[in-house]
Amino acid sequence: MHTVKMKNPKILIFACKWCGLIGADAAGKKRISLPSQFRVIPVECASLVEPDAVLRALAGGIDGIAVLGCHIGGCRYNNANHTAIKRMELLKDLLDTTGIGRSRLLLSFGTAHEDYQFEEIIKSFFDEVSLLTPLDPWLSSFGVIS
Amino acid sequence: MLEKTKNIARQILEEKKAGGILGLMKGQWNIIQPHIFEAPAELDALVLEPKWLLAKLAMGILRSSPENYKLAVICRGCDERALIELIKRNQIEKESLLTIGIACSQEQAALCLCDRPYPTKLDAGEKVKGVDPFQDERVREFLIGNDKQRMERWADMLKRCIKCYGCRNSCPICICEPCKLEDDVWVKRGVVPAEAITFHLIRAFHLSDTCVACGACQEACPVNIPLLYLQFSMRKTIQEYYGYEAGLDLEIKSPVLSGVFEGPDTDREYPAWVNSMRERDGI
Repeated sequence: MHTVKMKNPKILIFACKWCGLIGADAAGKKRISLPSQFRVIPVECASLVEPDAVLRALAGGIDGIAVLGCHIGGCRYNNANHTAIKRMELLKDLLDTTGIGRSRLLLSFGTAHEDYQFEEIIKSFFDEVSLLTPLDPWLSSFGVIS
Repeated sequence: MLEKTKNIARQILEEKKAGGILGLMKGQWNIIQPHIFEAPAELDALVLEPKWLLAKLAMGILRSSPENYKLAVICRGCDERALIELIKRNQIEKESLLTIGIACSQEQAALCLCDRPYPTKLDAGEKVKGVDPFQDERVREFLIGNDKQRMERWADMLKRCIKCYGCRNSCPICICEPCKLEDDVWVKRGVVPAEAITFHLIRAFHLSDTCVACGACQEACPVNIPLLYLQFSMRKTIQEYYGYEAGLDLEIKSPVLSGVFEGPDTDREYPAWVNSMRERDGI
């Protein structure tokens, strides 16, 4: 069967100020060509990204969300990224249960000054998300009465 | 079981260990309702069936009662777990609460898909074996199939939602004030049905590590959305990876609050996502 590719998946990236954001910056400085449909939101720490925010973004029409934090042993804030992983992994289970799918959420840890890793992550995530069914028809099927 | 419970309750009241006993009473016109028994003579009207969650009620009573008031609650397994979670969250004082634990019957356990149909402090009744929710036909219907089928199945269910907030209000552990579900930032207000992803999944996720699988949300739902099924996979993950179950112990904190390598040592497998670290640190 021919799989329909999503044309322009929208990706939202929550990047930790100390790692993910520096990696994203470095990728920009080196003029690495990247897909254009993503936006980066800098956060102080990956653990400050509430799973609720991820859900809100999905409901608002975002197709894929990436949470980038520091290396597992290298968090600035007392292993806060450990709790971020735990929560996000639980959220992935919940997304799987409802069929939204765990592949819409990407977790990655450690991209400070690793611009090529950032490029690789974003490109493969775009490929992965563009294969998924878009969420919009599912959401609009609810027929909101206001 | 009923006689034994009555005897324990009578003893508590006679020895004045507690000011009242919260349980179910068969009152006028055979209506069953929660009641605080304050005199031993009243206890003849005590009944144990049907299943009625008293944890949230107990919290409300203890909040509005004077200091040093003690309440004994006749509780099932799920009730006791909910009370323990509430004590952990500083909603109830540990000293002001006594429990009389009763076990559920096998039929009740199968009906609730309960994997632990007995309290840790069992006073009356026999322990019966729990049910594995993942083996049940009703649950499997929602968990099998590919993503698309599951999405359709859940859409059919969640479409019915009339946003009565019954799931939140009935949940013994939903205690946040103010609630995110009433905030326009998170959930759009004034629309029916409720936004599926935000309303239902935010509610489900907030209970990820505290859900005691009592099924109150599902019972309260006027349109029969199987809300409890949202929790099973998260509960399973927490049990398997961290060896933790909500509401079993007062001291053990939720694994979501601690680092990956902290907490009690169980012979657990580390989740796949720490693999890169294991190679580096030689764990």
